[in-house]
Amino acid sequence: MTNHVTRLYALAASLLGFFLAWAGIAAHPWSRPQAGDPRTQAAASYEQRLRRDAVLVRQLVAQGQTRAAAPTVRIVTLPPLTTTRTS
Amino acid sequence: MLRHGFRAMGTEVELVLDADDGAPALAEAEHEFRRLETLLSRFLPDSELSRLNRKGTLRVGPELSELVRLSLAARDETGGRFDPTVHDALVAAGYDRTFELVAGGTPGTQARPQCGGRVTIDDSGIVTLEPGYRLDLGGVAKGWAADGALALLSQSGPALVNAGGDVACAGRPWPVGVTTPAGNVTLELDGGALATSGRDRRRWIQDGVERHHLIDPSTGLPAETDLLTVTASASTAAEAEILAKSLFLSGTAEQAAAEADERGTPTVLVTCNGRTLLAGGLR
Repeated sequence: MTNHVTRLYALAASLLGFFLAWAGIAAHPWSRPQAGDPRTQAAASYEQRLRRDAVLVRQLVAQGQTRAAAPTVRIVTLPPLTTTRTS
Repeated sequence: MLRHGFRAMGTEVELVLDADDGAPALAEAEHEFRRLETLLSRFLPDSELSRLNRKGTLRVGPELSELVRLSLAARDETGGRFDPTVHDALVAAGYDRTFELVAGGTPGTQARPQCGGRVTIDDSGIVTLEPGYRLDLGGVAKGWAADGALALLSQSGPALVNAGGDVACAGRPWPVGVTTPAGNVTLELDGGALATSGRDRRRWIQDGVERHHLIDPSTGLPAETDLLTVTASASTAAEAEILAKSLFLSGTAEQAAAEADERGTPTVLVTCNGRTLLAGGLR
């Protein structure tokens, strides 16, 4: 009886070991990750950059608004570097 | 001193940067302008703003969300003189295509002018327009883009951005010209911004009547005033745009000057009959 139970446990352990080994080999742990579509990767990287830029711009504009709360304006006799006009 | 010019948002944009190695910053600032144009133009059918105007409700990105909030706050602060829902009134007045096409004289579509539409935006960025109303963020979007480009440029050195008359600068005093009938007045601007609103440009003939792009939201028609142009200063170009437009719609040159004095907003006003008034502390 004891031998029979032991044999069953041994069989179950062997099966478990076999399937674990199979899953491990099937995962191809030695191969590199798939590169994927380069256009998708480029688009994702571009989107990330745009998001970073947008956050940066909002932060910088907010800082600028805080810094330049009261602009100083006066009339001078210098030649203008540029001209404002109806936009 | 580096200068870089290009065309975006229906106008000429000029970037000036006082730095030796500023070329990458100039390129980045131009890129920012073009990115914002693809989001905020009412003339690009795929822009986020056009999609919102078509659908009436849309979850918008952070840029349009912020600009809608700014415009709604400005409408409150100006008592409705600045109104982002003038879109259909502009279309009814004939400004239904880019200004280059409008000035070409082909007939525009007619629509019932209406302003003051209800616009809501929730915390998740969903904007809802009252049925029958659409948004036009033209001038304030240009000013906002100038502020964004300046924020990028000024990391590299003293800088100035001129987006078709919306001037924002930082880093040191910059001399900026204001055209008046008596010649140029030069204002030295030490940080902050200047913007000009007027009916000397972006005007056209519709059914034999001269029209211009500054809609009075109380009538839904191009504003009637003795003012030709108003140049106002503020801490940002977006704010200067709003102030200049609000002062232009104040009724008369005297009323606009008194309001600028009361607010302490340095302002140059030019009337249709050639007078130049200085207000808000300018002497």
